[in-house]
Amino acid sequence: MPNDDSLMSRFDQEGLRRFSARDAVVAVLFCMVLLVLFAGASVRHAGEEMRPGVGRTVMLAVGNPAGWIADQLPLKALANDATHWLSPDVNLGSAGGGFTTIATTGTGAAATGVGVVTPDAFDPAALGQAAPRPRPLRRMLVTGDSMSQPLDQDLAQRLSPKGIKVDRDPHLGTGISTTFLVDWSKEAAFQVRQDHPDAVVMFIGANDDFPMPGPDGRQVACCGVNWAAIYANRARAMMNIYRQAGAARVYWLTLPAPRAPVRQMIARVVNAAITVAAEPWASQIHVLDTVPIFTPGFVYRDAMTVGGQATIVRLPDGIHLNDAGSNLAADAVLAAVRRDFTIG
Amino acid sequence: MLFPTSQFAIFFAIVLPLSWALMSRPRWWKPFILVASYVFYASANWRFCLLLAGITLWNQGAARVIHRTEDDRRRGIYCAAAVAGDLLALAVFKYYGFFTQDIDRLLQGIGLGLPLPLLTIALPVGVSFFTFQAISYTVDVKRRVIEPASLLDTSIYLSFFPHLVAGPIVRAREFLPQLASPRDPTRVAVSSGLALIALGLVKKVVLADFLARAIVDPVYAVPQAYGAPDALLAAYAYAAQIYCDFSGYTDMAIGLALLMGFVFPQNFRSPYRATGLQDYWRRWHMSLSRFLRDFLYIPLGGNRGSRLFTSRNLLLTMVLGGLWHGAAWTFVVWGALHGGGMVVERTWNGRIRTPVWLRWFVTFNFIVLAFVFFRSQSLSLAFTYLGRLTVWSAPTLWTVPVVAAVVLVIGLQLLPGRGTSNFEIRIGRIRPVLIGAAFAVLVLFVAATVPSQGVAPFIYFRF
Repeated sequence: MPNDDSLMSRFDQEGLRRFSARDAVVAVLFCMVLLVLFAGASVRHAGEEMRPGVGRTVMLAVGNPAGWIADQLPLKALANDATHWLSPDVNLGSAGGGFTTIATTGTGAAATGVGVVTPDAFDPAALGQAAPRPRPLRRMLVTGDSMSQPLDQDLAQRLSPKGIKVDRDPHLGTGISTTFLVDWSKEAAFQVRQDHPDAVVMFIGANDDFPMPGPDGRQVACCGVNWAAIYANRARAMMNIYRQAGAARVYWLTLPAPRAPVRQMIARVVNAAITVAAEPWASQIHVLDTVPIFTPGFVYRDAMTVGGQATIVRLPDGIHLNDAGSNLAADAVLAAVRRDFTIG
Repeated sequence: MLFPTSQFAIFFAIVLPLSWALMSRPRWWKPFILVASYVFYASANWRFCLLLAGITLWNQGAARVIHRTEDDRRRGIYCAAAVAGDLLALAVFKYYGFFTQDIDRLLQGIGLGLPLPLLTIALPVGVSFFTFQAISYTVDVKRRVIEPASLLDTSIYLSFFPHLVAGPIVRAREFLPQLASPRDPTRVAVSSGLALIALGLVKKVVLADFLARAIVDPVYAVPQAYGAPDALLAAYAYAAQIYCDFSGYTDMAIGLALLMGFVFPQNFRSPYRATGLQDYWRRWHMSLSRFLRDFLYIPLGGNRGSRLFTSRNLLLTMVLGGLWHGAAWTFVVWGALHGGGMVVERTWNGRIRTPVWLRWFVTFNFIVLAFVFFRSQSLSLAFTYLGRLTVWSAPTLWTVPVVAAVVLVIGLQLLPGRGTSNFEIRIGRIRPVLIGAAFAVLVLFVAATVPSQGVAPFIYFRF
């Protein structure tokens, strides 16, 4: 063993290598047993959150029995009572019914079964009429899943010096098609109640391929028309919350084509669903199509010409935008925002 | 697979007993631990395993050839070729984008563009760490410090899962001797190992992630929105966060290795207690400092020359050390600041008598300010951040928990005596089962502080 400044012999010098391998195994397994008794359900939950694959199978193989054991004992509640005050998460319990109510009742249908078209469905500009006078923008919410980063920073960096408060609220790993981490219906209600934004920028869908319960309660797998309809209903419910009865404007970005073919299929459905979802409120919900900007013809590309120079605009994962790409997306958002608001 | 996750807990609960069960039979244990380490790495992306295996084969082949060669000149050439291969792999996977975009634009300004295609290349987790370890192996063979190991031993050395993705950078001469014979099952620092894992967990999940969420991430993302009080506190908070994040990871890595019977080098020793930059680098990321000293600074000539020569070597070492952290100008500037600071420190040393507290104060605040470049996403944002330190506005992010966490992390390092740096030694004599039970209770409380999105990746994972 070299005797140098790496201090490799520090545990020997202090006489700390005094136990046996058996002690190590017993201590670790004893710790694991205690954790299963008190929090076995969280292993099951972690497994359920994972995407299908070997890792998920292994997690559930351990998590299901661990969760069952924990469910049979009162220790889980005891641990929860002792520790719940430490959670940094916002309790969304009082923020509306969530997606579960939407899945069973649907939204937007009139009593006659025919959707009523309102004036909100028409964008005055599209009819060749004068748009309402822009009003000052005071507060903007930028939210979504990981797609909304670093767009949120870009927008905040540009707008903050002009006295506009930008609330950044990304929820990584979440999606409209899953409520494991965040129920976006509840989250939207909470965000609106907390921030009262004039403008909401939403960029979401990178993780959206989860099965969702249909009107009959059965799980509908991605990515057919039934799944698209459920997704559109969920997105529409969120849009309705964010538009705050017409008091706010929503800028919802579609997904640029991802690199992987399987992800392209998901992005196509998500984009179609978003477009349909926004139809009742075209004057208030602006769907910003990023496909022509980043992936014309829905053909993936890493780089494009920006300011006369070839520039990489995507991250290596082939899904997200990098700083340069995000910068372009922010340009598109601000161009749309300027039609509704004055900035600075 | 991050250490503080259920997945890793299950993985380790399977690997640890099997590892000890097979330990007395190296013919079984070695393939087992190699497969376990590759499974661990494949959980990030199985394709990365190909690079790890490629680096292993390349350096093992080079080490064998070097060992067989008697002529020193030819040994040097083979070694240089092997290191060049390692650095090429690092350049492609880590710095390609930096060269094709940043350097290319710089060169285009003087009419010398790089004819390289624009590609996005995924950064393999831990590539900087295992590449440096591979270099240390090959160079130590060339220097006749060690003999080449078997391919199996070299593979285990480079892939051993506790240090694979974020160090510490374990040198071949520190690790390979531990593979020479089975680890003694009657001499295991069990309590120290568990204590270190617990300490690392608290540092990372409770302190580092909390500071990131509460103040560091918001202020560094949009410094324009904050005034001097928030920017100042965020700068100190980042110093606390990165220490807790990285030393927390290291604590866990060392603790896991201890439970398996292995010892890793120490990586941190109360770094914010340093009274000079040279002192700081003997306390912060010590395994990298030693690597840079032995494989860059000394081969460059070290301090065996004029003051100017030494200054050049210091600057070059620190700039390259900065660039090792990431392909961005911010890291280059951070390294240059440290290099420049060390040059000034060397020049002034002994000429001006200053009290210890003043040296600590200047050193610590220099480190904190230099971290502004390290953390900022671009140079322009770093300068914006520094500019905000001069703009007064009411504090908005000063809360008791944030201030308490910053004071706790930095203040504990300043305590007289051993401070907290020998926590594992103080706890190391308690019975392991008691530590195991306490650890379980601690995990319950720590887990409650994790937001629904899970534990944030370690900062050094992207290096």
